[in-house]
Amino acid sequence: MTAALEVRQLNVLFELSAEAAFAGVPVTRISSSTPLDEPPGFRVGLIDVNLTVAAGDCLAILGASGSGKSSLLRTIAGLQAMRTGTVRVKGRDVTTRPAEQRSIVYLHQEPVLFPHLSVLENVAFPLRIRGVSKDEAYRRAVDRLMTLQVGSVMGNAPDALSGGQRHRVALARALCAEPDVLLLDEPLASLDPAVLSDVRAALQVARTVSGAAMVLVTHDLDDALAIASHISAVSWCSLTEALTPDDLLRTPPDLETARLLGVYAEVSGVVSGVGEPVFTWIGGQLQAPGAAHGAAVACVRSHETALLAPGTAGMEVLSVVGRTERAHEILLELRNTAGETAVVRVGHDVAVRPGESMSISIRHARFFQSH
Amino acid sequence: MTPRRMPIARSLLLLALTVFALAPLAILIATSFARGWFYPAAVPAGFDGGAWHDLFADAAHRGALLNSLLLGIATALTATACALPLGRAAAAGARPVRRAVALLAFAAVALPPVVLGVGLQLTVLSLGLGGTLFGVFLSHLVPALGYLTLVFLGVFTRWDTRLEEAAATLGATASMRWRIVLLPLLRRPITEALALGFLVSWAQVALTLLVGGGAVRTLPLDVLAMLQSGQDQRAAAGALALTIPALIVLGASRIAARNTAAVVA
Repeated sequence: MTAALEVRQLNVLFELSAEAAFAGVPVTRISSSTPLDEPPGFRVGLIDVNLTVAAGDCLAILGASGSGKSSLLRTIAGLQAMRTGTVRVKGRDVTTRPAEQRSIVYLHQEPVLFPHLSVLENVAFPLRIRGVSKDEAYRRAVDRLMTLQVGSVMGNAPDALSGGQRHRVALARALCAEPDVLLLDEPLASLDPAVLSDVRAALQVARTVSGAAMVLVTHDLDDALAIASHISAVSWCSLTEALTPDDLLRTPPDLETARLLGVYAEVSGVVSGVGEPVFTWIGGQLQAPGAAHGAAVACVRSHETALLAPGTAGMEVLSVVGRTERAHEILLELRNTAGETAVVRVGHDVAVRPGESMSISIRHARFFQSH
Repeated sequence: MTPRRMPIARSLLLLALTVFALAPLAILIATSFARGWFYPAAVPAGFDGGAWHDLFADAAHRGALLNSLLLGIATALTATACALPLGRAAAAGARPVRRAVALLAFAAVALPPVVLGVGLQLTVLSLGLGGTLFGVFLSHLVPALGYLTLVFLGVFTRWDTRLEEAAATLGATASMRWRIVLLPLLRRPITEALALGFLVSWAQVALTLLVGGGAVRTLPLDVLAMLQSGQDQRAAAGALALTIPALIVLGASRIAARNTAAVVA
């Protein structure tokens, strides 16, 4: 079966005028199969990007601010220059085609509606420019607006809409274009929690209704988990392999991606031992199958730890020196008798307080060599 | 100053400004209809429409009026058609390009008319267009293009390019984007640019005189000539006639502004 969107060996350029936005983002020249060709005024930001998305599927690309996620989408959409790589839509090479001939709709972070057109005219716009009669275009536009539960505002001007309504109307308009690919540039960023769930629901409806391949870029794992079937991450100026959310959380490909996911505590230690490697940290030891010997970081989720009575056999006694409450977990800062410290994430039911002693067992972790 | 005195002071200031703005116009109106108004008489002996009749009965004046209208319309259309893409390209360009275009446009506006006129006279003469309507049109185009380039540079510097991007990815071709998105949203600045371009040409005296060399007559030149030859009533009527298109153009641009969504905030 032909993929709806296929991107191969794409190098994404950053405009140098936007250089300040990327201050602090390291551009590491990793090995590239294509020569790094930087035209004047541009800098290569993402290298050798490969991705495939099937029709009806949604790929989320996770990345820090300024990592080039938006530039990647804009390049795929044909809104930004590209030097190398290919973009195929349903097997058709659109690399050199202008944006309007790609069957790719790009939705900006802030919904962009035409201010001189009503909501209905906005949504009917992609149909009208294709020569669909006014009556038919409006009928289909109303249908899409109803699907996304904004039928009641069809006569309004765009500036009379709330934030959530603007998102829904922009989505309805995108669906009316019947694209093969829908690109969503951080559609949930900068939304307050009440609107957030509203727009998330609309995106899920859009995914079901459209049958288009969707690519969503975000810096928020929750947004990716809510909508996407696969997740890839921007890591070391390239994209990691797309994995299902479960696989990605179970085995993130590298430490940078693990940090990006934001759900792990990082515990430093050493991997050693003859035969089965063992990871030793201030709280004790645990098996580290497949881990390389030497200094390492173990990434541990809150539900992968277990608190034990102080001095449990084989476990070190640790003092709690700090406790930070978060929405879904608690960060505990622990110290051993030698003064070494570590921070672990534990569930909300943990009652230990600073000054108390305890032991802690790590049931499962992912290990990465520390640099 | 006490709170009670503030409104009085403000009212007096407003009155003074009104008198300052309207008194010359009132005097012009009175003079244009006056009959036998000689110094030191405070009021004219009578009123009639003789000066207005003379102004429009004279074929030479009608020709001057026609020249002024032709020059104004041609200058407005040409300068707008050139300044819009120029301002758009400059706004999208790198900062040095933007600065260079702004500097050139500002120079065309800021140079004293006599300096600009002498330079343009030499250029137009070398092209063999001295004393022709086309030569005068070219000379009017220079300051008009300067003004309008600055206008469109400002418009497109604040322009939301995402509108065109959204239209493009929804399937709109370049011509559709111009027709359906850009032009309707630019109706207000385009109308204002047309008005400004017309007015720059309509009120032009120095460039017309220097480049036209007296062979090209326009209404402002005729008004000046009438004033110099002591035909005060006809000069007043001519001066008032000069304000009519200006008022129409300003009114039209205000109406267009009201009817257009303010997308360029």
